[in-house]
Amino acid sequence: MGKVVLTVDDSASIRQMVAFTLKSAGYEVVEAVDGEDGLNKAKAKNADLVLTDQNMPKMDGLTLIKSLRGLPQYRSAPILMLTTESSDAMKAAGRAAGATGWLVKPFDPQKLLEVVKKVIG
Amino acid sequence: MSTRKYALLILAVAVLACIVAVWAPPLWRVAAIVAIAMLVLYVGYRHGVAIEEPTEVVHSNLHREEISDLMDGLAAESQVQCDQGLAELDRVKVLLHESIDTLIRSFNTMNSHVQAQRDLALSITNGMAGREGGEAEVSFSEFVLDTSKTLESFVDNTVATSKIAMGLVENMEVISGEVNAMLTILGEIEAISKQTNLLALNAAIEAARAGEAGRGFAVVADEVRALSQRTNQFSKEIRSHMDGVDSSLGKAHDSIYAVASMDMSFALTSKLRVQDTMARIERVNGEMAEAAREIDTLASRVGAEVNQAVTALQFQDMTSQLIGHAQTRVGALRKAAGEAAAAFASSDHVVAGLAQAKAHIQALAEVDRTRTNPVRQESMDSGDIELF
Repeated sequence: MGKVVLTVDDSASIRQMVAFTLKSAGYEVVEAVDGEDGLNKAKAKNADLVLTDQNMPKMDGLTLIKSLRGLPQYRSAPILMLTTESSDAMKAAGRAAGATGWLVKPFDPQKLLEVVKKVIG
Repeated sequence: MSTRKYALLILAVAVLACIVAVWAPPLWRVAAIVAIAMLVLYVGYRHGVAIEEPTEVVHSNLHREEISDLMDGLAAESQVQCDQGLAELDRVKVLLHESIDTLIRSFNTMNSHVQAQRDLALSITNGMAGREGGEAEVSFSEFVLDTSKTLESFVDNTVATSKIAMGLVENMEVISGEVNAMLTILGEIEAISKQTNLLALNAAIEAARAGEAGRGFAVVADEVRALSQRTNQFSKEIRSHMDGVDSSLGKAHDSIYAVASMDMSFALTSKLRVQDTMARIERVNGEMAEAAREIDTLASRVGAEVNQAVTALQFQDMTSQLIGHAQTRVGALRKAAGEAAAAFASSDHVVAGLAQAKAHIQALAEVDRTRTNPVRQESMDSGDIELF
């Protein structure tokens, strides 16, 4: 039984690519279309890792991270940002919100897998 | 700068915008209008629009209607162009989204097919090496080796049989010689028997001549003659048997000789052919393993290419965000034109109206300055990774 990764992104193509990359390595992938959807799915299914975009309708990535950190089961779970945002200010905000790491798009599938493996094994 | 000059500038710019609107393609239309509007805002901001003296105000107020019309016209045209531009950008987003989705799906499928191909190649190599079923399964190369050994021992046996047959032929010749020697001895016996017969006959004659006194001797002579005849009879029987043995030996000799001379060349050719065939089978086997390995290498190369494609295809997410950002800018431009015209129209006075319009534009420009672009990437190289 593979570990569960929740990918939150409003871009269907990014979700597809993340799912394709992680599924091929044996992870189970749950997709969410925005922060709000991500929060609901994270509550419904205990994910081992959350991979979220920043700019999304309804709820952005930073808010999602803050909300997740408020839940007991996600207090110490790894949460990675996968976004086009690359400014130091945004990264600092992400770190303050409780993100485990920051990945700037576009991602290389091989590197994404390495990071995921490093974080949840 | 005086309001008149500024109005003239706006007029010139509106004409320019119309020209662009007529001739340029849609994306350029939006870009040109954005550029022109920025230029107008910049000139107004940089040089300022002088509020004229009351005497002049009266004079300027004469043109209030014209300026208001111009600004309304500019606002209306900006709205039309911006709306079209926004709609076109929306279409670009949809088209991008659809085609990229299809591309990603086909890449996914391609990758899984390649993976399946790779597994197949692996199972072929494993099958040939006999690794799949564990100990019980015989590998192809082991089978080839076994067959080769069996055939070689068969050929070796045949060669050994042939050698033994040669030995037998020699033994047969020796036996044949012995038989002939025995026949010669038998001839001697026959000669002795003949001579004994003759002697018995002479003895009988001599006994007859002796008369009554030789009668007993005559009986002995007859017995001796009978013995010699029996000897002769036996000798003939032996000869006939010996002849039978000799002819059988001759036949056996011929058969064994045929075996001895026939098998050698055939067996040697077979041995060479078996060796040749086995070498060929092994070579084919090796070639198949090599091909399977090649397929495996190619499959992993395709996997790497798919990875690169997946990285590159993410441009859709970035361009969509950039287009979204550009749309916000176009929307701001549309709003600026509309609000400036409305602000001017709401005032009875030219100067006050222009001042209000300027204030609106400045407020919007302020909002624009706080807006940050979500996409800073200049290329499609994969982005940085940072773990906190």
